[in-house]
Amino acid sequence: MSNIIQTYQLTKTIDGKEIVKDVNLHVKKGEIYGFLGPNGAGKTTVMKMITNLWKPTAGTVALFGEELTPTSYEVLKRMGSVIEFPCFYDHMSGKENLQLHCEYMGYYMPDSVDKTLAMLGLSEAAKKSVKKYSLGMKQRLGIARAILCRPELLVLDEPTNGLDPAGMKQIRDLLQMLCTEYGMTILISSHILSEVESIADTIGVIHHGMMRKEISMKEISEMNTEYIALDVEDIKKAAYVLAEQMNLNNFKVFDAHNIRIYDDKITTMELSKVLTENEVDICAIGRKSERLEDYFLKLTEETV
Amino acid sequence: MLKLIRLEWKKNNIGKYIRNTLIMTVILSLLLVGMAGELEAVETVQSYGTSMTNAAIDLFMNMAYIIFTGVMLSSFIVGAYEKRTMHLMFSYPINRKKILLSKMAAVWIFNFVAMVISKLFVYMLLILLKPFLGISAAGIAFGALSFWLDIILGSAVMVSISYIALPVGLLMKSSKAAIVTAVIITFLTQGNIGTATLVNNIPFYAFLIILAAWAVFLSIHRVEVRDLP
Repeated sequence: MSNIIQTYQLTKTIDGKEIVKDVNLHVKKGEIYGFLGPNGAGKTTVMKMITNLWKPTAGTVALFGEELTPTSYEVLKRMGSVIEFPCFYDHMSGKENLQLHCEYMGYYMPDSVDKTLAMLGLSEAAKKSVKKYSLGMKQRLGIARAILCRPELLVLDEPTNGLDPAGMKQIRDLLQMLCTEYGMTILISSHILSEVESIADTIGVIHHGMMRKEISMKEISEMNTEYIALDVEDIKKAAYVLAEQMNLNNFKVFDAHNIRIYDDKITTMELSKVLTENEVDICAIGRKSERLEDYFLKLTEETV
Repeated sequence: MLKLIRLEWKKNNIGKYIRNTLIMTVILSLLLVGMAGELEAVETVQSYGTSMTNAAIDLFMNMAYIIFTGVMLSSFIVGAYEKRTMHLMFSYPINRKKILLSKMAAVWIFNFVAMVISKLFVYMLLILLKPFLGISAAGIAFGALSFWLDIILGSAVMVSISYIALPVGLLMKSSKAAIVTAVIITFLTQGNIGTATLVNNIPFYAFLIILAAWAVFLSIHRVEVRDLP
């Protein structure tokens, strides 16, 4: 499968400070790519360079197989984007803003504005001026504008900011639908992992301006990341029993009460029996699987 | 380009500016009609090279439109950067220089046409009210080519020199800075100290026109490679 977005050693330096360094990002055709990273990691900077709003200090961006240059205007026809927060002409209605967008994009498809407004649940507010919109409505209108011309590539920077849980789910469902039914390639950034976890095919984790990892969700789920979570009163004694009595090395003490044991051979029953025999009081015990959140934390904590 | 200019007017609510120019023209007309009788009594001032009525019309109209053009430039261009609607504009498959030039043209055309109409409106009002005001209105000659050249060239020059304010606003990332610069330009070009004035000083205006052209160039220069704030 070909890459729709590919960056090569993408670097951005502002006032001598490297905001983004040597980022190599690969977004395949027709996939949803979750771009993850804590606040200030460099997600927006990378997205600004992909959408040609900012120019790289070093490195290049290739979109649809062609290198992005300062005068690459034609490629913008194939893209829709929401970077940071969407801006509108506030005195105009939501519908007028979308109609204006069509004019600039040279996209004339009957009913596309009404259909897109309906997709985002904005039909009733279509004729209301944007200055009367709530933050969530503006966010949805921004997404509506980005998808209005049915772009091949959608670049969304934290698109669910300001949305309630129902609104967030609506956007997730919409993105999945756009990906499956329209074959759109979607690059979506977020610092909320659960938001991306359920829809992304691939994730890229950026931290301190550097790409820490690019991995498919399939690979993450295939990883043996099951563990037993143990909550005990005396952590030192529990750790001693695990290491000395049970000869376990693959465990991690998380805090004053919690231990995670990464060993698929041992059962919770066996574990509780040995700990009880050694007079370790168990508050809770259970088998859990590591989610994207844990994987993300592992990647970002390594560099702290 | 014409389509881009039309869209600029549409999204910037040009109706609001039409209303404002109408109000401005009416107020200035009332003021000039009120002053006409007294101005006619004053002899032609050599430094202005015209009757005092004509000089007053030019002075007030020039001042009003230099500032008004500055206000529109700050709203159409500097404000677009401030409100980040320029991010949206630069995400369109349109040459960025063309986008900026269409904004500038939208402001220029509007102000030029409005200024010509405003001046003509005042002149016609004075002609109509001539018997009631007891004035001769000798300087108002609709049949003379020089009269039309004066209005058209004068309006074009005044609107154009306002563009000097644009790079100031862009550099300082401030609409207010652009408007203040337009006000300074107004005082510089229309004011006088005693009998000394730069009004009708052709080399000075030629210099200002060159400066305005340079300001336009600066505003669009390297716009493709500049990062958006």
